[in-house]
Amino acid sequence: MRNRGLEQDDIAPYLFLAPLLLLLAAFIVFPVAMNLLASFTEWKGYGPMKWIGSANYRAVVRDEAFWMSLKNTGVLVLYIPVSTIVTVFVAALLREGLRGWKAYRAIFYIPNLLGPVILGVIFSIYLRDDGMLNFSQKWATGVTLRFLTSPRLAMNSIGVIQVVWVHLGFGLIYFLAAMNGIDQGVYEAAIIDGAGFFQTLWRVTVPSIRFAIEFWVVFNFIEVFARMFSFIYTLTRGGPGYGTFTLEYGIFSQGFEKFRVGYSSTWSTVLFLFCAAISVAQIRMMRRRNS
Amino acid sequence: MKKATAINKGARVLVQMFLLALVVASVLPLYNVVVASLKSADEFSANPFLPSKSPISDNFVYAAIASHLLSYAINSIILVPIGLVLYLAVCIMAGYAFGKMRFRLKRPLFLLVLFLTIFPQLLLATQVFRLISLMHLTNSALGVILTWVAYFSPFGTYIMTTYFTDMPYELVEAARMDGASPVRILVSVMTPMAMPMIATVAIIGFQSMWNELPFSLLILQNQASRTLTLGIAMMRGEYGLGVPRTSAALVIAMVVPLVMFLVFQRRVTLGATAGAIKG
Repeated sequence: MRNRGLEQDDIAPYLFLAPLLLLLAAFIVFPVAMNLLASFTEWKGYGPMKWIGSANYRAVVRDEAFWMSLKNTGVLVLYIPVSTIVTVFVAALLREGLRGWKAYRAIFYIPNLLGPVILGVIFSIYLRDDGMLNFSQKWATGVTLRFLTSPRLAMNSIGVIQVVWVHLGFGLIYFLAAMNGIDQGVYEAAIIDGAGFFQTLWRVTVPSIRFAIEFWVVFNFIEVFARMFSFIYTLTRGGPGYGTFTLEYGIFSQGFEKFRVGYSSTWSTVLFLFCAAISVAQIRMMRRRNS
Repeated sequence: MKKATAINKGARVLVQMFLLALVVASVLPLYNVVVASLKSADEFSANPFLPSKSPISDNFVYAAIASHLLSYAINSIILVPIGLVLYLAVCIMAGYAFGKMRFRLKRPLFLLVLFLTIFPQLLLATQVFRLISLMHLTNSALGVILTWVAYFSPFGTYIMTTYFTDMPYELVEAARMDGASPVRILVSVMTPMAMPMIATVAIIGFQSMWNELPFSLLILQNQASRTLTLGIAMMRGEYGLGVPRTSAALVIAMVVPLVMFLVFQRRVTLGATAGAIKG
């Protein structure tokens, strides 16, 4: 990005950027701005907009579904440290050069390939009350766990699958690449000093990949706030009740099922604020890293 | 290469057992649908989990023809490559401008692109849907393709920008001395040099578009225009389809991503970490 010399490329760069900027203006910037405007109106998505001031915002703070959505997102956020610890731990195990480590890395990557829609439908079968997981765990414990039909368990199922399990494969590739950059001599010295696996992990590996872990946490926040809709839509349709509602799902439900587009835009504004904060954090992290 | 290791022989066995248990837990959901897809409805209710004693292919025929999966797959196979070509063109041009050209608004525009990479589809969906309706592109391939390209190109542009930034500036300078125009430099000099990264971005774009749901769900309301991913998502709600037939549909849908992985394994792996910050 450094500008060398004084000569400018006058018009050509803007021509190269024109397709991107036009698309972004029409499909991202304009929608975000319109959402903000629409959030102060009563509107069905077509016909006239009726200005109602802050009524939607007063309604949203009294809306049970809204608080449930925030709480559910909070549950997913709690899985971010779990995902980080599990992934770094397994990556550190594979780093030891275990037999078959490449095969493990490939197998754990499969869920990333299938994408949220296929996974959502697979787990809607696998986690049924009379499904395969219940069959095996009922044999062991004697009780049926209602993975998808009890609101509390359903949100935790989503956390375990979509935050921890799906990201494991991506994280292994990513953290193994980062760990590859660590000087072998540091490990050798630590082992000669008598450090065990957990000590080398904590004293050598983790500090050396600190930036990678930081990126990983921000990436997980993006996934939790902005990439959950497809999986939830195919797994639970937001239910049971508001059991697996998130902000994304609320926008969908209000806007496209109940046609309350003005009110749905109010939810959008809240989600926008969260995403904008995450985006700014990500940009600051990148710039700190590059400087 | 022999690595220094802090895990002794006995612990290695435990670790292998732990990892194998993790693999079994990961593969079980997939085993579940593969096994179910080969059973008749009767056999499935009698024997839901063990492999079939008399495997049948009826479910696959039903899913492909009666559930229209074949025509959905054809839609995806037409839509995604067209979207991909446009996406690559947009990302390469913009990435080159940000990475190697000098202009006044470079910094603010690049920050804007970075800022816009993460917003979720649902945040934009209402207004995008309205825009698409105004342009009379509901149910049309063009509507979905334009939306995909717009939505996914900030990230592709970011990756191309980092790649072009790292390329030696002398290449551009030399071509300019020879009197090549900016378009010519981009097409004949820079693009061929950037092919490895373009391939990676193409895989990222392919996966993003192939698996995309929210925009296709809202724009492609006509059953005949559904993509494979959308078809699978709608199947979830179809009453009385039953587990064996749904499973067969899932197995069909899994083929493309898995084949992609087997063929392009190294590049898919690279794509997974492209754009991530080097640790």
